[in-house]
Amino acid sequence: MIKFRPIVFLIGILLSALAVVMLIPALVDVLTGYSRDASVFAVSAGFTLFIGVSAVLAARADEPEIDVRQSFVLAALGWAVAAAFAALPLGFSDLGLDPTSAFFEAMAGVTSTAATAITGLDGAPPGILLWRALLQWFGGFGMIAIAITVLPVLQVGGMQIFRLESAGGAQRVLPRAAQILTGVGLIYVGLTAACATALWATGMTGFEAVVHAMTTISTGGFSTSDQSIAHFRSGAVEAIVILFMILGSLPFLLYLQALRGSPRRLLRDGQVFWFLGMAAAAVVLMTYWRWHHDGEPLPQALRMAAFNIVSVVTGTGFTTASYDTWGGVAIAAFLFLMVVGGCAGSTSSGIKIFRFQVIYEAADVQIKRLIQPSGLFVPEFNERPIPDTVANAVMGFFFLFAASYAILALGLGAMGLDTLTCLSGAASAIANVGPGLGPVIGPEGNYAALPDGAKWLLSFGMLVGRLDLYTVLVLFVPAFWRG
Amino acid sequence: MIHFRPVFFVIGILLTTLAVVMVLPAIADAAVGNRDWVVFATSAGLTLFVGVSLIIGNWAPRFDIEVREAFLLTALAWLVAAAAGALPMAFSGLNLSFTDAYFEAMSGITTTGSTVIVGLDSAPPGILLWRALLQMLGGIGFIVMAVAVLPFLKVGGMQLFRMEFSDKSEKVLPRVAQIAAAIGVIYLVLIALDATALWAAGMTGFEAVCHAMATLATGGFSTSDASIGHFHSLPIEMITTVFMLLGAMPFVLFLELMRGKPGRLFRDSQVRGFLGLYAAAVLALVLWQWLGGGESLPQALREVSFGVASIMTTTGFATADYQTWGGFAAVVVLYITVVGGCTGSTGGGIKIYRLEVLYATAKAQFRRIIQPHGLFEPHYAGRPIPEAVASSVMGFFFLFALTFAALSLGLGAAGLDFLTSISGVATAMANTGPGLGAIIGPAGNFASLPDSAKWLLSLGMLLGRLELYTVLVLLWPEFWRG
Repeated sequence: MIKFRPIVFLIGILLSALAVVMLIPALVDVLTGYSRDASVFAVSAGFTLFIGVSAVLAARADEPEIDVRQSFVLAALGWAVAAAFAALPLGFSDLGLDPTSAFFEAMAGVTSTAATAITGLDGAPPGILLWRALLQWFGGFGMIAIAITVLPVLQVGGMQIFRLESAGGAQRVLPRAAQILTGVGLIYVGLTAACATALWATGMTGFEAVVHAMTTISTGGFSTSDQSIAHFRSGAVEAIVILFMILGSLPFLLYLQALRGSPRRLLRDGQVFWFLGMAAAAVVLMTYWRWHHDGEPLPQALRMAAFNIVSVVTGTGFTTASYDTWGGVAIAAFLFLMVVGGCAGSTSSGIKIFRFQVIYEAADVQIKRLIQPSGLFVPEFNERPIPDTVANAVMGFFFLFAASYAILALGLGAMGLDTLTCLSGAASAIANVGPGLGPVIGPEGNYAALPDGAKWLLSFGMLVGRLDLYTVLVLFVPAFWRG
Repeated sequence: MIHFRPVFFVIGILLTTLAVVMVLPAIADAAVGNRDWVVFATSAGLTLFVGVSLIIGNWAPRFDIEVREAFLLTALAWLVAAAAGALPMAFSGLNLSFTDAYFEAMSGITTTGSTVIVGLDSAPPGILLWRALLQMLGGIGFIVMAVAVLPFLKVGGMQLFRMEFSDKSEKVLPRVAQIAAAIGVIYLVLIALDATALWAAGMTGFEAVCHAMATLATGGFSTSDASIGHFHSLPIEMITTVFMLLGAMPFVLFLELMRGKPGRLFRDSQVRGFLGLYAAAVLALVLWQWLGGGESLPQALREVSFGVASIMTTTGFATADYQTWGGFAAVVVLYITVVGGCTGSTGGGIKIYRLEVLYATAKAQFRRIIQPHGLFEPHYAGRPIPEAVASSVMGFFFLFALTFAALSLGLGAAGLDFLTSISGVATAMANTGPGLGAIIGPAGNFASLPDSAKWLLSLGMLLGRLELYTVLVLLWPEFWRG
């Protein structure tokens, strides 16, 4: 049997923290004179705090020991419950969102997806805008935290390759993990501050700069304008955002090591190399296509291709152009780049670069074995051999990703959406990108018009994608709840 | 070093066989007085000359075909057969360009069924017969390859289907030849049955033979632009549905059936999975069309059961334009296109057993995550799946996705729209035939595509038919070294 006590206890702590954070937008709304929305936030915070503290008190135990199965429940439940309570202020605010849209928006926030169901962001009260950014910012850090500490231990989809090396055995992992998380957290805050300062220096208001910095570094992609970053019409803003989106999707652990005096590991890391290489190749090819085929002037083509490709490949979801009108090759390219995603241990989602490296190595070895059936070939990752279990787990992840994607797209089709909306919406949700392709949910579009069923499906897809599939899907295996 | 002599020798035999078969359409054309018979006779002569020269030039008393020669031979056989098959089409009265003729021949020999020819209804009988013959030969060639060659090359988990006697190596060849011959007979008998049934249902004898060949090969070339829809006949559709499904089942099991062991056919997990998926897809789309699309139930059942069978078996005949069925149907069609039939049949695609292996592996992984210290082995058909099989199936799946992505980007760069790109690649790699969208949809045609797209699609058909590895392996430098 799974003991729920410690789970409830930790969820309680999470909710109490969420309630405290909710006071920030309340404060901002008070200062800017949106008193009605301020009270919505305050009431939501009070309610969330009440539930959270009740849970903490009810389930308090001397030592909350968490085993493997409880960690799975906790991770999945943590995100789902956070989204549910984060939806409260969205649902009761002046925007008049229905419960489905509010939950969808909150889930998009905590999973750092840029899928929004709100139209008229430009005139929205600042509290709401800040709240959406805060959700993404905390959601992004939550992702880094579990990718560094929890997922490798749970052996999810080959993540065990990133298990922290600990000299002192199991009992020393926890203090070390806490230490590492503190370091990574400081870097996260530092990068956000740097991004905000840079954006502010280019002419954004302080508020816009902070909001965009939070959604950039978390590769979230919520903006303060319906037109996203295109609203600012500034090459400097775009360049800064590109830089910080990329920084947000590199492994944060390597920053820590770089600061501790080994910057070479960052530069020589295979994941970083392939991620940057792929993004650069995609930008070059897309620029060439726009310039050569569509007759776009070269600087303009480069600017649009660079921003939007980096935005999609990092899973951020900011837009500056309606790239789904760039022709068949662009649509296919954006769809594929969406699911590839960034590096493991960052704020970005998708299949992730290291999995492609592992699978490619495994496939390469397989082909060599076909040629020389008796030869000995060992796949390698970052100059170390890949254990069979990791290779299999990664390939299993790939299959599971395809299967989840297929089912999600099918479900969207059953809600009556068109083919492109189904295919791109499912990809965008699972990879936590945000905008899809096509007239409805494309870069110019919005999720507001989708039927409720589709919003629930997409919310589920975002959750599944954010937690590396296994963490959520394992809960649906009957054996999980047995014995 | 790779020994080219045995490879060229076998290619010579293949070309000679093709030349002999080319005489059939020549006779058909001569019988109705069409001038195309000269083209077929000349092409046959040329092919025969090249084939016999290769045989004589590379003759040796004893041959050793090893792993690398087998890979090269398999890939080359399909390429050369398509080139030879393209000859009569290029010089016939249809005036196809070489690209079009090669595309059409590749589509035939890989039993894909995508066509660039418009005006089939008035085309000379020789060409129609030749297209059907190419599919028939391609179909049986593929079954033999899947039964005899691929399991030994360990391609994409095919070693699972290695026959039990594989360790006694000196006896392998005679047994394999025997089994291949028996399967060939079964194949021909099924074609004959299908042709008779179609003829009884009202087709002319010629149409019946052409369609029977294209059906059992799960190819899908028709004698009419409107495909099976041309006949407006329920019996014809039902007969074709049955024989398409038969064509997509493992032919080795039919052999067991003949030997008095019918149980294996019905207990086979691939057959069950295939029929189960077929039933599920039909049910879903019938309900969708009936409740959502406002079609009458019998009409929905008729259109859907035929359409799903045609796509899942990777045949590609069409009776209704399923594109008008909405986004849900389009997504379903796209999936069942790439899923395909059973291995050891004429059907293409990823194939049922791979999905079953993937599913079993994923299940075992979930169990292992829940109980890190437990011992969980994936099972297929009651037997544990060897580690090597599981990883090569997963490798296949990854390579399929990667090839799919690369080819659809290529088609996009050739100027096609998104839906045409991805459905075109899916249909080519799974050897199905029609895609989605206004151009290559079930009511459309590949004729208007740019040449580069046709070459990419031909490559896709070849890659799909040869289970990817067989072609991709040739691109590795290690293959040619040492």
